[in-house]
Amino acid sequence: MEQGQFNPNESLKLIDDMIRKAKGSYHDTGIGPILWGTVISICAIITWTERQYDYSLPFDIWFLSLIAVVPQIFISIRERKQRMAVRYEDKAMGYIWSTFGIAIFLLILINNTLIVALKENAPDSVSIFGDYISAFFLLIYGIPTIITGGVMKFKYMLWGGVICWLLIIPSLFSSSKTDMLLIAVAAIAAWLIPGLILRNRYIKKQHCDI
Amino acid sequence: MIFKDLDPILHSQLRLAVVSLLITVKEAEFTFLKQKTNSTAGNLSVQIQKLKDAGYIDVTKEFKDNYPLTTCRITKTGVSAFEVYVSNLKAYLEVGK
Repeated sequence: MEQGQFNPNESLKLIDDMIRKAKGSYHDTGIGPILWGTVISICAIITWTERQYDYSLPFDIWFLSLIAVVPQIFISIRERKQRMAVRYEDKAMGYIWSTFGIAIFLLILINNTLIVALKENAPDSVSIFGDYISAFFLLIYGIPTIITGGVMKFKYMLWGGVICWLLIIPSLFSSSKTDMLLIAVAAIAAWLIPGLILRNRYIKKQHCDI
Repeated sequence: MIFKDLDPILHSQLRLAVVSLLITVKEAEFTFLKQKTNSTAGNLSVQIQKLKDAGYIDVTKEFKDNYPLTTCRITKTGVSAFEVYVSNLKAYLEVGK
């Protein structure tokens, strides 16, 4: 770039170009959403097959979601190191998804505590409670997904979050077994598909830069 | 209409480009600014120093993985100067129509 003076039209054009360049420079790798979309949908589908075909794995498949936190931490650290510019919304997104992770953990804790209490005091109501708990998970899945989709102007994630909320309606009238399929659909719609789209965009951008 | 003088610190291509990039992001590394402005490291360093001297940007120098890392971010003074500059530009263009 030349170091010189220029007319007002050129100035405005330069400002516009630079703002576009700065905004267009950030491309999410999509690995995080792909990871979580895959893990949650696999856990939900396997849980459904366990109930459908009356078998059980020697371990709780949902532990996979705890294990997935480890690669997520590495992914986040690596992406942060590679990032040459920090956007204003990065910090907010970090808070939103950390809050989401903690909220899910707390919901699992509440769920398990309630199940233990119900088994002791009202065993008949355990299955009724189980039929409704998925609605809470879908509700929480939708919140950060819709916010992220809206803030990042990424319509696929926004729709994914809306799908999570829409799936609450059938989950209220279905069994806990069927709810697992709804959870799988939610994870695929909210994270896996948007993640794959982001990944595709990221790879294309990398090729363009080369 | 009386024209206000355009800020001489900002009314130069590379410095305006740097400030326009920094107004969009919270902070940016030197490499990012160099890539986006297609400038040379030497020229960019000089212009960044001028912006820093004017109080328009903050510059942090540290080491990351044994390499020097320069990070820039716009200051409140820089944001105000940029806003005034853009509004003066618009005034010029309105009169020119």
